[in-house]
Amino acid sequence: MGQNEPVPFLLLIEDDDAIRTALELSLSRQGHRVATAATGEDGLKLLREQRPDLIVLDVMLPGIDGFEVCRRIRRTDQLPIILLTARSDDIDVVVGLESGADDYVVKPVQGRVLDARIRAVLRRGEREASDSAVFGSLVIDRAAMTVTKNGEDLQLTPTELRLLLELSRRPGQALSRQQLLRLVWEHDYLGDSRLVDACVQRLRAKVEEVPSSPTLIRTVRGVGYRLDSPQ
Amino acid sequence: MTKQFPGGLFAGRRWTSLRLRLLVVFALVALTAAVSASGIAYWLNREAVLTRTQDAALGDFRQEMQNRAAALPADPTPEELQRTAELMAGSSPGYSVLLVDELKDGRKVFGAAGPDSFGLADVPKSLQNAVNDRQKTTAANDAEYHMYWQRTKPRGNPYLVGGTRIVGGGPTGYMYKSLAQERDDLNALGWSLTIATGLALLGSALLAQAAARTVLKPVQRLGDAARRLGEGELDHRLEVSGTDELADLSHTFNKTAEALEKKVADMSAREESSRRFVADMSHELRTPLTALTAVAEVLEEEVDDLDPMIAPAVALVVSETRRLNDLVENLMEVTRFDAGTARLVLDDVDVADQVTACIDARAWLDAVELDAERGIVVRLDPRRLDVILANLIGNALKHGGSPVRVSVRVEGEWLLIAVKDNGPGIPEEVLPHVFDRFYKASASRPKSDGSGLGLSIAMENAHIHGGDITAANGSEGGALFTLRLPVDVGKVIAGEA
Repeated sequence: MGQNEPVPFLLLIEDDDAIRTALELSLSRQGHRVATAATGEDGLKLLREQRPDLIVLDVMLPGIDGFEVCRRIRRTDQLPIILLTARSDDIDVVVGLESGADDYVVKPVQGRVLDARIRAVLRRGEREASDSAVFGSLVIDRAAMTVTKNGEDLQLTPTELRLLLELSRRPGQALSRQQLLRLVWEHDYLGDSRLVDACVQRLRAKVEEVPSSPTLIRTVRGVGYRLDSPQ
Repeated sequence: MTKQFPGGLFAGRRWTSLRLRLLVVFALVALTAAVSASGIAYWLNREAVLTRTQDAALGDFRQEMQNRAAALPADPTPEELQRTAELMAGSSPGYSVLLVDELKDGRKVFGAAGPDSFGLADVPKSLQNAVNDRQKTTAANDAEYHMYWQRTKPRGNPYLVGGTRIVGGGPTGYMYKSLAQERDDLNALGWSLTIATGLALLGSALLAQAAARTVLKPVQRLGDAARRLGEGELDHRLEVSGTDELADLSHTFNKTAEALEKKVADMSAREESSRRFVADMSHELRTPLTALTAVAEVLEEEVDDLDPMIAPAVALVVSETRRLNDLVENLMEVTRFDAGTARLVLDDVDVADQVTACIDARAWLDAVELDAERGIVVRLDPRRLDVILANLIGNALKHGGSPVRVSVRVEGEWLLIAVKDNGPGIPEEVLPHVFDRFYKASASRPKSDGSGLGLSIAMENAHIHGGDITAANGSEGGALFTLRLPVDVGKVIAGEA
């Protein structure tokens, strides 16, 4: 870890003491600063007091569950969120992604895998180019890492922004879900294509005039997605 | 005969069907009865009609012969003979008469009259001989000549021919009576009887049909119910009506079905609860395991700095935690398949890329030879394909040893991935069980992945795609596992629904 690289500050919301302690230990060793909360309510309170870079959120929580916490955060904040889910409940993943999570890991999770996911999510917010692109009423400013529609700033999560940037880098060219998983989520193989679909849905809701009949982010059947300039 | 079988149920039935047998038996009974009754009636009638006609004609003829022919002088002239014949035929105009007299010089004189002109040639020789045969008079036989008759059929028409000779010298007389009228009457009778027989047959067929229906309908319903029971409709019951044997049978059927339903319900409840237990248990195991896994990793990183006495213990804890992890993961996967909650997450993937990624991620690149062209894009669940490949290749590496050869090809609508190893192959008696859960081939043969579930899970993952895996031994030794998946799972599943 370089000297000038800031230490990522994580908020871990997990109700089970053993898991919370173990993950805190593991993540701290990986070089993160970790704050922990045992319930969703505590987590939301902590979120207002401190400003974490990322939230690791367990789905099964007493009181308000992980999905609800996720939705409440998304109402005001575009903070990256990684869900801790149980893979046996396939529906959890879908609900979690719909409620605005950026990625998910399946329990029992290895600390190294979680760390890799966290770093991948955090990298999405990093700027790399300094130009801008225009797609109809949509202006993507790669220098400022902002997106405006009809002159108004759009609130995008780092994942949504990265997805839009990757698509806008190859306008008119279809990218497969697996390609996007590599580019945006940095999953080296075997990615869950539902991550892409859920993120595209959220992105469309923000950038399209009519999200149900998209003119910018088009679905290419049997391939994936493509960013077009509206005719 | 109507053989309109209801629905398609009887279409293509064998010739030995119950309905047909009933029909044949009824028809045979009806035919025998009708034919014998008609035959007897016809025969009696025929005899009565013919005898009456015959007796009347012959009696009349005899009377005429005595009255007129006997009155002729010896050696009558042809004219006299002719006039007598005319008188005889005229008195009762139903038959023709031929009178023949042999003169002393041997010439024959004829006299013929009547509606059917006929000559001596028309009279059968045997009859002429019998008529002219002079018999000795005895106590039993009072006359030298008798009257003889015969029925002939010259030119297709039936005739009665009778003949006699005047006792004590005189002409021989023949009578010739047409039986056309009687024949016509008898033919009409015959026709009526045939029609009656036909009607009886038709009636019997209808009766057979009705009988068959009353018997076969309940049988058919019973068969139908049995079939539905076999198809798993355990709550299907028969309506019991009446008190006959078929009603008894229906009642028994219902009782059997009820018992079966109860038993199946019991069994599935028990199975369900044990399944839920396994599912709950693996869920519960996962929470402590998550904590253990995270901590074990921390310990693993420190293992080099630890006391050499402690380090092996820590290494053991780490490796066993990982194994326990795999086991719980596999158990949960199995319970998901058993509960039917496993879902496919489909995507279009390049198979060669997927296989490479799978091998790469597990550091098997040196041990696996891959024979796959890039660009084979298939629609499937990439995570499940990875599970299958990891289990098949891992199994091959463990038992067969490297190099393991993986080849990918597409045949029609199917993607075929063959995994072949260089080991001793699978013993024949083990082959059918390689996909069984926790199956141990022998004490000497270690289990595939430590959990004993790997190949079973691979198979379940293939099944959920609508495909399968076959295990065999290659021709030049080594085990050969072939995974077969549809090229487009989405299409296969839509087609099945």
